[in-house]
Amino acid sequence: MSPLTFSIIRQSTQLSAARRGTVVMTSSVSSSSSPLADNDATKKDKRVIETPGCFMYSVKGSVPHLTPDTLRLQGFGGVNVSIEQLLQDHQPTGLDKWPFTLSKFLNLQDLILLCDIREASSFTKVPFNSDRFVSMISNKGVRQLTLEDYLKVVRAYHPDIVGAFTDSISDTKEPGQKRVRKSVERSLKWLDQVLLERQGFDGLAQDREAEEKKKLKSRNKENQTPIVSETVASVSVSPVKRTTLPWTDVGLFAHVQGAQFEQERVRSAQETAKRTGVDGYIVDTNALPGSRDDILKMLKASMDHLPKDKPRLVYGMQAPEDVLRSIALGADLFDTTYPFLLTEDGKASLFSFGSVTAPSNTASIDSATASLQASSISSSANNRWINLWDDEHADKFVPIMEGCECYACKGGRHTRAYINHLLKAHEMLATVLLMSHNMHQYSKFFANIRQSIASGTFDQLSQQFCDQFGTEPERTGEIHEAQRIVEASLSKRNRLDSSGDASPVASDPAELEALKEARKAEKAQKAQEKKQRQMVNKKEKRSQKLKERELLEEQKMNDSKA
Amino acid sequence: MKSALTWDVLAKCSTTKARAAVLTLPHGPVNAPVFMPVGTQGTLKGITPEQIEGLGCQIMLNNTYHLGLRPGQELLDQCGGAHVFQGWNRNLLTDSGGFQMVSLLKLAEITEDGVQFESPHDGSLMLLTPEHSMSLQNSIGADIMMQLDDVVSSLTTGPRVEEAMWRSIRWLDRCIKAHKKPETQNLFAIIQGGLDPNLRKVCIDEMVKRDTPGYAIGGLSGGEEKDKFWRVVSQCTDLMPRNKPIYCMGVGYAEDLVVCVALGVDMFDCVFPTRTARFGNALTSKGTLSLRQAKFKDDFRPIEEGCDCIACKSYTRAYLYTVVTKETVGCHLISIHNTAYQLRLMRQIRESVIEDRFPQFIHKFFKDLFVEKSAYPEWAVNALKSVNVDLMGGEEASK
Ligand SMILES: [Zn+2]
Ligand SMILES: [Zn+2]
Repeated sequence: MSPLTFSIIRQSTQLSAARRGTVVMTSSVSSSSSPLADNDATKKDKRVIETPGCFMYSVKGSVPHLTPDTLRLQGFGGVNVSIEQLLQDHQPTGLDKWPFTLSKFLNLQDLILLCDIREASSFTKVPFNSDRFVSMISNKGVRQLTLEDYLKVVRAYHPDIVGAFTDSISDTKEPGQKRVRKSVERSLKWLDQVLLERQGFDGLAQDREAEEKKKLKSRNKENQTPIVSETVASVSVSPVKRTTLPWTDVGLFAHVQGAQFEQERVRSAQETAKRTGVDGYIVDTNALPGSRDDILKMLKASMDHLPKDKPRLVYGMQAPEDVLRSIALGADLFDTTYPFLLTEDGKASLFSFGSVTAPSNTASIDSATASLQASSISSSANNRWINLWDDEHADKFVPIMEGCECYACKGGRHTRAYINHLLKAHEMLATVLLMSHNMHQYSKFFANIRQSIASGTFDQLSQQFCDQFGTEPERTGEIHEAQRIVEASLSKRNRLDSSGDASPVASDPAELEALKEARKAEKAQKAQEKKQRQMVNKKEKRSQKLKERELLEEQKMNDSKA
Repeated sequence: MKSALTWDVLAKCSTTKARAAVLTLPHGPVNAPVFMPVGTQGTLKGITPEQIEGLGCQIMLNNTYHLGLRPGQELLDQCGGAHVFQGWNRNLLTDSGGFQMVSLLKLAEITEDGVQFESPHDGSLMLLTPEHSMSLQNSIGADIMMQLDDVVSSLTTGPRVEEAMWRSIRWLDRCIKAHKKPETQNLFAIIQGGLDPNLRKVCIDEMVKRDTPGYAIGGLSGGEEKDKFWRVVSQCTDLMPRNKPIYCMGVGYAEDLVVCVALGVDMFDCVFPTRTARFGNALTSKGTLSLRQAKFKDDFRPIEEGCDCIACKSYTRAYLYTVVTKETVGCHLISIHNTAYQLRLMRQIRESVIEDRFPQFIHKFFKDLFVEKSAYPEWAVNALKSVNVDLMGGEEASK
């Protein structure tokens, strides 16, 4: 039985496919491969994510800037973590001795932990995938994850939910149709294998068989003498044999592929929907080309063909209006990349959904007018957020958002002026406070959405939201002028520190030692990064060549058809 | 002069010069001996004020030089001081700004007027006078403020040391005169005189005459020999009034704290615990763990068994290994642990003084930290011997 139940509390009866529901994770007493899974004393019996809702974006299980106590104040029920990042430090070979479940290792037993292969927050280009492996990027360079590795990792980690092994095309944003078809097929094949393994059956038998046959063929070619191989016979295990302990208490979300080809998206969704044992679906829009409208159309193509009774997790739809439009298409789950990116820019969100349910009417109007006034002289020419790097906040001894109950704003304890000071002083508390606020407001945004779906005002309030807050300005990656100045002066100071006689600031030997070590580590890291870049370049070139070849073949095929 | 504090000694160690006291300041009580974490720019390395309170911290340090530059005096006046500005409702101590200038700015020059330095913003010449320092510290509103003193390196010898000592006394007079809020802010004098016992004595005699609410031992921790360091500290505590708190500036290594408490010091501060956290170094009673080392990859123990900080309650060393020096959270967690460690050490010292078992505590502390007696630092052995604790002779000898 699935450890995960999804219930729809209210299906929007209006124009949209929006629905209000819950994802409930129940810790079961199944025969799991990880003996510790059920012994987590602190693991709550029942953990819930209200939908539409979010998994918190994390780096190795830590939500950026938030310590475990502050994290618990944010009001999200789940965390998303990627194998890509985790494997940097804990390899599959070391995992058999791992005395933990991932939840326990990351201290996230009270939340629903979703573990997927790659980072969900953005599109990072990696070299191509093959029949045998998918490529990922770690800080030690590009690495390849085979299905076998993946299964090892899943057994060791034993997360609450795992994303199925899948072929997400990440070496290019506009793959050819043939490549996309391959991605859909590979993903289905791998999904079937993962589903078998999850039940405790040998899902890899067919791969081994194929491998052996290939070897045999090449050997035969070499020797020209037929070999009647016993090995072949011995590896052709029947796929119905139970080989390992099942891990049915781990929820499984299947990836739906199809890139920019509508018919492939439909096919992927329909075929994936046929598989039994899948607890939810993941649609990754990060790698999709085109305008927001184009991408939403592709998302719709998937959504329309997925079973209605299972949750749908969408990557890459992060800005508030994208979230609203995705929900209207029937999306249930997102991630918190948006508040994180705002925080990295020094921005604090001011938007709220459905002013009727905002903390108090006056508060939201106040902040809206405040930001409108601000916009004339600041870099935030919109009313959805302010940039705390802006000088105008230096003497604003008011909370980010009047009436906000987040850690930073609550009781007026921390002000815009203080955060402006912290940013300019290059102090880490700045991002702690900004993240607290932005995460809290994002959580509130979803809470208000849920309420509006329940009360049947979602479509109307979505429209109102878009009228009031417009669309998210393109994130240019440009650094705020004030930030640039701070960083320039910092690097100047660091240069001064490292040259000349030892300043009394770092006079004690342990300190100097630590500084030296840090510099060494920095150098090593830089060298590593350089190597990595070179590697990525090399692989990119190779994959480029492959792609060209593929295109050529496709063209040939088309030509021959014509 | 006026005082805005009370100093109640609860217990005195019957062997050493240690004492346990309650220092009551405008923003609440402080249990002494106390370690004060350093929040240079009005924040402690990513730890929220709520978390700092949770660690039991009752007093924190801010640096006048930094706050004077940013947010600046005008904004501090506008918002009502540094407590409000940083959302910290407990006590604050500020330095005079002089030390920061001399140490951070190579071009600082000291004249009778004050410390002349080049503005880090526009390169123009600026002057920090005792009057200006007081004015800044009055704007910051710290519960304890320090006089501007003439700082010389503890390695300096010759007439410059005496000059600095006399100038510090003259500047103390100017500070007392310029101090606008003696009812709500306590001004501490700073004893100078380098490593010369005679100069130290003259300085103490003169400064005690000024009757400030507390005294600091300045001009140390600048790389001098430890054997000279402790002798100066011990001489000072002998000569200083026993009815006032004694603060030893810039001391924060665990063994230094234990020794200095035994020598009669009540207050300490140091950037070390939080600064070293940034490099992934966690402090424990058995020494420092450099958590960025690969040997911690499969170490599934907490940093320190029995520590109830959020890092130790939540994570193993193996996990911390994956985030220290890479994620800000890693830095926050180690900073929290290190601060918790320092404050716990002071609590343990204090409890042992109250229960009059401080010598036994010292024995155990050194055994845990250094394991072998041969590894005990000689200066610490000498210093403790001077207050009747014989580390080499074993616990029995010092009872
Ligand atoms: Zn807030
Ligand atoms: Zn700890």
